[in-house]
Amino acid sequence: MAKLPVTLTVNGDEYDLLIEPRKTLLAVLRDTLGLTGTKEGCSTGDCGACTVIVDGRAVTSCMVLGVTAAGKAITTVEGLAVDGELHPVQQAFIDTGGYQCGFCTPGFIVASKALLDENPNRTEEEFRHALGGNICRCTGYTKILEAVMQAAEEVQATA
Amino acid sequence: MSDYTVVGQKVPRVDAIEKVTGTAQYGADVHPAGMLYGKIVRSKHAHANILSIDTSEAEKLPGVRAIVTQADVQSGRRVFATDKVLYLGEPLAAVAATDADIAEEAAELVHIEYEVLPVVQDVMEAIKPSAPRLHGDATKDGPNRRGIAAQIRKLSRDKETDHGDELRALEAALEKYPDEVYYNISAESHSEAGDVEQGFADSDIVVEDTYVIPRVHQTYMEPHVSVASADSSGKVTVWASTQGPFAIRSGIAGTLGIPLTQVNVIGTTMGGGFGGRFGVIITHVPAVLLSQKTGRPVRVQMTREEEFLDGRPAPGCVIKLKTGATNDGRILARQALAFWDSGSVSGASIGSTIRVRGVYKIPNLKVDAYGVHTNKSGTAAYRAPGAPQAIFAGESQLDEIARRIGMDTVEFRLKNMREEGDEVPAGGSEPRVGYKETLQAVADAAGWWGREKDENQGWGVAVGDWTNGCGPGGVYVSVHEDGSVRIFHGSMDITGTDTSISQIIAEILTVPYENVTITRGDTDSAPYSTGSGGSVVTFTMGNTAKLAAEDTHRRILELASERLNANVDNLELREGAVHIITADPPKSISLGELAAYSLSTTGGPIVGKGSFARQPSTPALAAQIAKVEVDPGTGRTRVLKLVASQDVGFAINPMTVEGQIEGGTVQGYAWAMMEEMQYNEAGNVNPGFVDYRVPTSADLPTVESVIVEVPAPNGPYGAKGVGEPPITPTLATMANAVCDAVGIRVNELPIKPEKVVNALRSNGH
Repeated sequence: MAKLPVTLTVNGDEYDLLIEPRKTLLAVLRDTLGLTGTKEGCSTGDCGACTVIVDGRAVTSCMVLGVTAAGKAITTVEGLAVDGELHPVQQAFIDTGGYQCGFCTPGFIVASKALLDENPNRTEEEFRHALGGNICRCTGYTKILEAVMQAAEEVQATA
Repeated sequence: MSDYTVVGQKVPRVDAIEKVTGTAQYGADVHPAGMLYGKIVRSKHAHANILSIDTSEAEKLPGVRAIVTQADVQSGRRVFATDKVLYLGEPLAAVAATDADIAEEAAELVHIEYEVLPVVQDVMEAIKPSAPRLHGDATKDGPNRRGIAAQIRKLSRDKETDHGDELRALEAALEKYPDEVYYNISAESHSEAGDVEQGFADSDIVVEDTYVIPRVHQTYMEPHVSVASADSSGKVTVWASTQGPFAIRSGIAGTLGIPLTQVNVIGTTMGGGFGGRFGVIITHVPAVLLSQKTGRPVRVQMTREEEFLDGRPAPGCVIKLKTGATNDGRILARQALAFWDSGSVSGASIGSTIRVRGVYKIPNLKVDAYGVHTNKSGTAAYRAPGAPQAIFAGESQLDEIARRIGMDTVEFRLKNMREEGDEVPAGGSEPRVGYKETLQAVADAAGWWGREKDENQGWGVAVGDWTNGCGPGGVYVSVHEDGSVRIFHGSMDITGTDTSISQIIAEILTVPYENVTITRGDTDSAPYSTGSGGSVVTFTMGNTAKLAAEDTHRRILELASERLNANVDNLELREGAVHIITADPPKSISLGELAAYSLSTTGGPIVGKGSFARQPSTPALAAQIAKVEVDPGTGRTRVLKLVASQDVGFAINPMTVEGQIEGGTVQGYAWAMMEEMQYNEAGNVNPGFVDYRVPTSADLPTVESVIVEVPAPNGPYGAKGVGEPPITPTLATMANAVCDAVGIRVNELPIKPEKVVNALRSNGH
């Protein structure tokens, strides 16, 4: 299949790529750029493991064609820690035991970051509903919500 | 409480940074140079004869490098179907191509000619003579025929007496049970204690029901994946997402007829397993075959749809259960007849039917269980395999009896629970287990005794028992000249076990937890380890780690004795240094200095090792209480409160133990309320997350966990396996709560809104 020239901006770095139009953003991130932190759990947009932030919005990257992400700012889990300092959400997942197998964790962390960027002042119930697009099979969500609430406090305290 | 400084503490997990930054390497993250993408060609019918397989068009597609079928399996062991398929999605061939999309296109271009055969999906239909036969015509007798046939065999063997009349009567008796000739049986299991008929006769109340539990998928978030690389010398390397690298090594070697030492399995970080990640031929063997044929590394990765079609989920089953009790609340007898849906091959956990006995004194018990073939994929373990199904039946029926005799359901359970030394029906004698403590703990935490409820609200309780497994393991420990400690082993981390192992070793060597590094080797380098399933790891590897640390401790004191010229009896290891306890002024040597001394005198770091084979395990109990509200208009059940307690023996890391309790409870909730793999003549009809719904954070409230610690005599620090028990009672907990709310007892899971509405309507609502 003919490839198209595309410039993608991922975690602040620009990449000039030739990609097939049928490749999803998820496939481009993982297979072309080697950014394997973003996970493939269902390929149908239902589990949230492949969540990335595109222009400030959390999206499932398996539902986006790579060529359509040209010119947009893409953030993946690899782009959250700054100068080796973890994002408060990442630290909170460690402190509370908010992950177990860890496969859904990048998606949860990225989705949570997008929610906190948008509005950290939410109740636990509101976060429960806002994170309803991400599936975790290990934790039963109790400690994930603890983590997100801890991060929300942290973000609000430093805002 | 305890004097421990590292074990018993909520320390962060050893893999924390890699898990939250996305650097942990899972199976699909492995990408060796020159790697090809594999795709499995699957049956499009649930039952069919295969007339031909034509790969010629697929081979012509640019980018395709190889196609393998059963003809490529030189050992002759079955990897792909050849003449017949038994379920939708059964593998027929596999393709390797330079790109994942090309591989998928090529798989579609493999032309298969089918002769479609009749399908059977319902176990109760499959056992009938009218059902299509999946594996020939062999039959098995049901419980009554079995008993009579055994008598006939016994009398026939006695040649000295004429039993003609008796035998004729028995033959006639056999005729009374024509429905008890079962077809499509894959396995059977029977146990008996006491005399159930007498028990039922002595009972004031006898309740009999049929419970139907659906097939559900483990739904680990990482689909099956393997990357295989076969070199020209015949050596095979496999990066495998698996719970048991050593089991995969022997599986691959056995299937392909190559020596164990020519197979190296590298376990990649595991994206969930829950018992379903031990399969050898699902992706590993096809990847190896494709790599052998192409001479290049090949990755075979399943999609979520393929997981549902060709994973190995938990078996559904039908359990006919009968229980007799006295009006003052003593259980006298229980009898079960179970049919487990094992799919196209044997392997369903039918032996777990015995768990209908629960943790109660039941003097008379009889259990007959059968595995039944249907046109579905085979099954595998799922978190306490077989127990959630059997315990759902057992605990639902107990609840019903308590209601009918007007006794509090917690009191009823407490009254009948076994105590230390009691006989376990069909299974030895009871050790000391916190059965009553655990149930009381959850009742207290949930506010059971002062419980209140509004209209359409209800409370449910249930308990479930499980005993962790055990198996061989080995651990090496080395202490280095900066005082840091390395642990080397071969067991897969299953959500925190590496952390527990590290805590145990830090505790014994009196070093900070942060100074301990744990490394997992591949099967070429690491000491043998049993698979990470059956709640074995903390028990087995914890004991192994303890032995290795104690060996290291001993070696440290020997070296210090030599270096300090002091008697070993006068030495003590504390806070990372060896002290001469009799010295004045104090004299000590740090572990780092000792390690440097070891390097210069023995030629290496301080090394200790531990290996462990087997010790008896102790049962664990999980007890749960739910408060729910049912909307009688929509039938929807909302959980208001979910409290889970568990006797864990000793919590080496309370944070990860709570995580196991919370996660297992929610999986049980999902089995009760949401999940069901659905099948018809075409095969599985809901192979995706839209139609197979698993819970999200929006479906549930916080799960409150309560840790109970009654030490296990052989567990490290008294620890028991914690992973499996929490899923066992939740199915019944939910059903009992719904029943308490609206008076509807749903015996056929899941408790979907339409079932509740229909039941309410037929009750005149």
